[in-house]
Parts: sequence; C-alpha cells; structure tokens
Amino acid sequence: MSYYFAIIGTQDNPLFEYEFGTSKQGGDGQPRFNEQARHMNQFVVHSSLDIVEEVQWTKGDMYLKVVDKFFNNYISCFATAGNVKFLLLHQPPAATAAPSTSRSSTSIGANPTSPQTEEAIKSFFNEVYENYVKAIMSPFYKVNMEIRSPYFRQRVAAAGKKYL
Amino acid sequence: MVVYSFYIFDRHTECIYAKSWLPDSSRPVSGSQPITNGSSKPIRRDDNDNTAKLIFGTVFSLRNMVRRLGGDDDAFISYRTAQYKLHYYETPSNTRFVMLTDIGTMSMRNVLHQIYINLWVEYVVKNPLSPVEHKGGEGVKNELFELGLDQFVRGLM
Amino acid sequence: MAANKASRLGEEIWKTRIDKVNAELVTLTYGTIVAQLCKDFDNDYVEVNKQLDKMGYNIGLRLIEDYLAKSNSMRRCANFRETAEMIAKVGFKIFLNITPVITNWTTDSKQFSLVFEENPLADFVELPDDGRAQDELWYSNIFCGILRGALEMVQMQVEAHFICDVLRGNDTTEMRVSLIRYIDDEMPPEDD
Repeated sequence: MSYYFAIIGTQDNPLFEYEFGTSKQGGDGQPRFNEQARHMNQFVVHSSLDIVEEVQWTKGDMYLKVVDKFFNNYISCFATAGNVKFLLLHQPPAATAAPSTSRSSTSIGANPTSPQTEEAIKSFFNEVYENYVKAIMSPFYKVNMEIRSPYFRQRVAAAGKKYL
Repeated sequence: MVVYSFYIFDRHTECIYAKSWLPDSSRPVSGSQPITNGSSKPIRRDDNDNTAKLIFGTVFSLRNMVRRLGGDDDAFISYRTAQYKLHYYETPSNTRFVMLTDIGTMSMRNVLHQIYINLWVEYVVKNPLSPVEHKGGEGVKNELFELGLDQFVRGLM
Repeated sequence: MAANKASRLGEEIWKTRIDKVNAELVTLTYGTIVAQLCKDFDNDYVEVNKQLDKMGYNIGLRLIEDYLAKSNSMRRCANFRETAEMIAKVGFKIFLNITPVITNWTTDSKQFSLVFEENPLADFVELPDDGRAQDELWYSNIFCGILRGALEMVQMQVEAHFICDVLRGNDTTEMRVSLIRYIDDEMPPEDD
C-alpha cells in the first residue's frame, strides 16, 4: 500500500505533504506509486475537498473516514475544528499484485475500507493531530503557513510507520 | 500607641514617600519648618524636604555605624528620644522604611516588614504603571498604597 | 548544607505562597512577544536579543522585591555561590517551578553557568528557518535581563548571556552569569 498525506489549510492551500509506504506485513515504508500517475495524487486529493466540505458538517467527529475514491485511490479525511483538513490518499497495491487470498484481504494494506484500516488511519490521524497542534503552537508559525518543521515531518513519518 | 509619621527612602537615598498622622499641635520633630497643616495628609514635599533629609542622614549614619561595630549582618532597629521613637527597617534592595511613634511603642520592625511585603510590593512594585525609580523626588502617588497604609496604621493605634 | 536549605525553601514557597497560572498561557504569551519583536525589528535578531534583555531588566527590578517579600529572607547572601543557589533553587523555582543546574564555576567563584534542563518559555518553539535565527536569536534572552535587573537591586552588578540553546540545536541550554562587582551603597548628596 502506498500513502500520500497532505494537510490543507483553510483557503484550500496545501500546508504539508508527505509520501510513504506501508511498514506492515514486511513493507519497507517506501511508496510504490506508479510513476506516471504519481503527480495525479495532488489532483485527486484536491478534488476530494469538495466532498469533504459536504461531509464534514454531517458528522460530529473530526475523523470522516473514507470520503472519496478515484479508481484505486481512497481518500480518508480528518477535519480539525479550525477547518484544516488532513487528507490521506491510500492506494492498495495494483490489482495484479494483490492476489485475492483471504490472508491479504484482512490486512490493513489490502482492504482500504475494512474496519481495521479505518481504525489504523484514525490512530494515525490522531497522532498527527497531536503533533500538528504542537507545531502550530510555535510562536513563529502563522495560520495557513506551510509547515516546514523537520520535527513535525519526522513525527508524521513515525506515526505512519507505527500505524500504517 | 501613636504613630506620628512614616517615610520611605529608595536606594538612591531619595525620600519617595512621606506621611504624617500628626494633629497640628503635637509635633515631635522640631523641624525647621512646620510639617503639615492637617492630620493624616501626605506631607507636602517642600514643607518636609528638610526633615526627610535630616532623618535619612541620621538613619544612614546610624546604620553604618552599627554595621561597623556589630558586623555586616547587624541592623539598626530603633532609637528613642524623650519625645519620640524612630523605627528603622531596610530591605536587601536598600529600600528603607522609617516610622516615628510615641516612646511607649514596642518594636515596629515587624510592622514595617508587613508594610513592605503587603503594601509596598503588592501595590507599588507590582503596579506596572508605577515607575521603578522615582527620580527627582517625584514620589509615590498610589491610591491603593496610601489607603492601605492609612488603614493599616490606624488599625494599630 | 546551604544547597539543601535553598531547595527546601524554594519548594515550600512554591507550595504555599505562589499563585499558579496556566503554563501554556505563559509560553504562548512570551512566544507572541518574541515573534512580534522579530516582526517589528525586521528579523534583526541582535536587536531582538537586546530588547528582550531590556524587558527582562525592567522585570527584574520589580521581581526582586516580590522575591524578597515571598522568600522572607531579609538577609543578604554571604557570597556569590550562595547567591547562585538562591537564584536557581528559590528564584527560578518559585517563579517558573524549574531548578536550573548550577555548574562550571570559575576558581575565583565569580562566574557560573545555569543549565536549563527544562524551559517553560521554549515549549513548542521552533526558531524560524531563515538561516539566521538559529545563529543569532537567543530566544529566552529575557532571563538574562531579569537576572541583571534583579541582582542590581541587591547591589550586584552582573553580566549574563546564553552560550547555547537547545532551540538552536545545541545539546543543552546554558546561561553564563558573571559577577562584575558589588555595588556600594549610594550616599546622600552633600548638603550645602
């Protein structure tokens, strides 16, 4: 499974992005996006914002689960109270590479809508959120400013490794 | 017990606050000029400048002499004349408090200490708008402090 | 031992005589001040350091009175080593609930370092990554001014500056404090 994580500010402006791959089931943490389709990630994520806006007020929770799907790309969203959105694009390995055996279909990687996957992404978002709050508490950070903190990037990477 | 008057001197030896509780008639300090024209009013500076200066000169010399004889930790606490008793208290930041009372009064050291921590620090030092230094004898004009001081001293009498 | 006594005193005052305030309020307020200064002085960090020191100095002039009132210690420190103990274990303890470590004394007992293992002012802080802040800004420089102001009021002229800061990527946050001289009592002006 490959992941593309982005934080989107209140003006629909990107604040942070990070690409990684699964570390579960012996994954090496490297993203395996198709080189030709990789640049599409940003578009896919951006286009899902419309749906996020529709969904975000219908749920009491900040975690909105999977909000959008584009071919084999699933978008999960977490909208903070400050209307900053965390979007995670997750792409299971291409259908050919994922034989539909029962073993892999229950793993987090293979089934993007399974409860386990939902839970894992929720934990990931929560941990990122915690660190995000700390990052924006820095007096030199201003609203909707790109998050350049290397610590924050490290923590996001760590959270990805831990849960996904 | 009767409190006659009260003075504060800062570390620059300046008298930054003076107050008298004296009625006109009974004046213990035979200053060259009359002290006040009414009871319980802050002493007017020009009237009292010389008295304050004399008092400071006296306590300053006494304190230095006491330290020379008794060591650096020794402190001069009070002296007494036939007419009045002068109490002295000094903080490590060299703010000096002086109080004149009648001769029967016990040590007022603790009272002066209380004035320092409960009134001076609370109302004057912690007031961000009151200056730290009172250059040129501007003096402290702080209603809360004056009110508190007056109440506190009257409570003693 | 004087050191133990100072710790106990600090602990006791902290427990009984100090009004507490939310730590994040302090952190964020201070952070805002520093950030605003950086903005006002166009990221001239040397100037920002100076301003912080000046603000600290003005705080120190007042804070010492509160310290004296709260600590009830109406006695002067016998020597500079005792002063250092009181600064770290009573002063920092009662105002910030931290106890920096005193270390690196020079042999003449006139210079020491305070090593801050924790620093409430710097929680959450990441210095701007403009390539200069990391080398020029002393984020917590207000401490230097506070010590300078407070000690001046008790007749010690000192010089204080940071020599490293975890915010800059150093391993520790360390402030160097040096005693320049004891200030003599001011004499009343000569009467003429």
